[in-house]
Amino acid sequence: MNNIQPLRGEISIITRMTADTTLFTLSTKPEYEVASSFLPGQFLELSLPGVGEIPVSYCGFPSNNGTIELCIRHIGHVTNAIKSSAKGDYVGLRGPFGRGFPIDTYGGMDMLLVAGGLGIAPIRSLLLNLLFVRKRYGRIRVVYAARASRLLLFLDELLDFKKNGIIELLLAVDSLAVGEKKNPDCRIALLPALFEEMKIEPEKTFTAVCGPSVVYPRIITSLQNLGVSDDRIHISLERRMKCGIGRCGHCAIGEYLCCLDGPVFSVAELSGVEGGIA
Amino acid sequence: MLTRFISDQNLPDFMQKLRKFGGIEGPLRGEDGGVRFGNLSDGTTPDIHAIRTLLPAKKYLFAPEERLFNYTLQEGYKILLEDISPVTLFALHPCELAGINYLDRLLGGDAPDPHYAARRSQITLIGISCLPDEFCSCHISPSPLQALSDIFMNIVEGGFVVTVYSSRGKEIMEDMKDLAEERELPVPQDARRFFGVSLPLNVMSEIDTGLPEWQKLADRCLGCGACSLCCPTCACFNILEFAGLDGVSSERIRYWDNCLFKSHSMVAGGAVFNKGRAERFIYRYRHKQRGFGPLRGVPSCVGCGRCRAFCPIGLDLRVLTELLERSAV
Ligand SMILES: Cc1cc2nc3c(=O)[nH]c(=O)nc-3n(C[C@H](O)[C@H](O)[C@H](O)COP(=O)(O)OP(=O)(O)OC[C@H]3O[C@@H](n4cnc5c(N)ncnc54)[C@H](O)[C@@H]3O)c2cc1C
Ligand code: SF4
Ligand code: SF4
Ligand code: FES
Repeated sequence: MNNIQPLRGEISIITRMTADTTLFTLSTKPEYEVASSFLPGQFLELSLPGVGEIPVSYCGFPSNNGTIELCIRHIGHVTNAIKSSAKGDYVGLRGPFGRGFPIDTYGGMDMLLVAGGLGIAPIRSLLLNLLFVRKRYGRIRVVYAARASRLLLFLDELLDFKKNGIIELLLAVDSLAVGEKKNPDCRIALLPALFEEMKIEPEKTFTAVCGPSVVYPRIITSLQNLGVSDDRIHISLERRMKCGIGRCGHCAIGEYLCCLDGPVFSVAELSGVEGGIA
Repeated sequence: MLTRFISDQNLPDFMQKLRKFGGIEGPLRGEDGGVRFGNLSDGTTPDIHAIRTLLPAKKYLFAPEERLFNYTLQEGYKILLEDISPVTLFALHPCELAGINYLDRLLGGDAPDPHYAARRSQITLIGISCLPDEFCSCHISPSPLQALSDIFMNIVEGGFVVTVYSSRGKEIMEDMKDLAEERELPVPQDARRFFGVSLPLNVMSEIDTGLPEWQKLADRCLGCGACSLCCPTCACFNILEFAGLDGVSSERIRYWDNCLFKSHSMVAGGAVFNKGRAERFIYRYRHKQRGFGPLRGVPSCVGCGRCRAFCPIGLDLRVLTELLERSAV
């Protein structure tokens, strides 16, 4: 694994998803194919020459042709600059880094995946991994909320999975746009409301959560109210990650370093850790 | 243990001969009265009795600002490793050595940081015994006692008792035979000859940071970052990339960062995980005592006393100890 030196990746497909979000398919061949084998929940450090380096979650499924997918929201210095990248452009890659979702422990279990906003990126990666060997798992439910309908990412794909009966899908948006028709598959509510009438079998359920940190306390409370124990609530935390390899000190959470010990933690591991769950 | 003796009179010659092995850097007292590590290669006499330099010797191993990579279209990102010439760091106190030993664990190890490793491999460490003052807390940390150096000089009546701890140290002392006679001398147990004002052993590690006294102390912190800047084991860094004028090439630079600053934990969108100054103050002390990640459980305060001595408002955890002692009565 390459820790220090960014190696070459090449942008091969650019898919505009919303006004501020783009899906990049990158080829890691021939220089850095290692970057294409990863666990869902792990991340890479992505460099844009002349601009900077940022941590980004893997959003797809490990491919055997060396391609990876990254879903990027354009909100700052590096993420805005990459918006004008073109097919064939060079990017630097380091990784995979961090501890992903412990999928080995999910075998035979019901899975409840929870995503808010851009949190769908690593959750989609996890979902694709689960669906790859669908029969290993019990029920798979995906709970996904965004601010507005046009911001729901990978919607067609998720609706397809639902239609094929391989997942159950609960969607919500904060509000409808002016003149927008209500979609029967999608509620107008905040994320925690989606758990209100839910029935689960807590002793055979694992949950995986990724979303903005501000909603974590409420999501966790909802899941606890459903009877899920803290060691079965796996959440992915975002921190400022400059190095990804436990050296720069920016991603510390109590005595953890998020880049090495996370970004995926169980709520049990974070209990009593100051600065863990906001 | 086999030791050598260097007399006070022979010290200048010893320094002179040391120059053969590369540059020499050591503590120098400036006109402003402040002590800083500086160049001794021209024969300048170091201030071997100075208590503490403003910045620790970490600046030699972990540069305040360093070019890490450049990017070109042809070659992609390429690591930049300067040609670093050999340098001897002279008159390092046990806490200073312990600080370097800690950085070795943090940035060295099995997969070392290449820029750190490049500097470190060129550095020889010569330690010296010292006389702690009231700011020092080395006695509550075992690390200064166990600190590693290439050569260590214990100040005794009329000179120095010199012990050698590495092959590099041996090589240097081989060359000093005429200046440093071999003698069976007792090596003082403790290189720190005086223990300053004593702090109870649990001063930082076991204090409940939720205590109102802690909060009161922390609330006074200005967030200036001096305490982290001058700490021998504070090594957080930030990395920035700068585009070249040709519009194609670029350089990536790493520089010291500081957990007392709000920006330290800020992510895109402006979320900050260590919001208040007091929170960040407490966070720093807790980290010093408890460590994190792979060095969890390894205290990194080596007791040099700089953070106390150089804090512009004199924030000192010993105030807290006193408060606690008083409230316990
Ligand atoms: C584990 C992890 C996974 C992530 N996955 C995704 C993803 O799949 N898609 C996505 O769009 N975003 C993801 N992010 C967030 C993404 O890293 C930030 O949006 C990005 O760093 C913002 O950089 P910027 O230069 O565009 O923003 P600015 O606000 O301009 O940031 C300024 C500088 O601060 C630094 N900075 C800001 N936030 C971070 C951060 N979180 N880590 C390190 N440095 C930071 C950057 O170096 C940047 O140069 C993830 C973050 C983490 C920690
Ligand atoms: S925390 Fe203070 S006393 Fe301890 S090593 Fe750092 S600067 Fe020195
Ligand atoms: S030097 Fe003193 S005032 Fe400045 S950040 Fe440190 S504790 Fe706070
Ligand atoms: S990202 Fe640098 S220590 Fe975690």
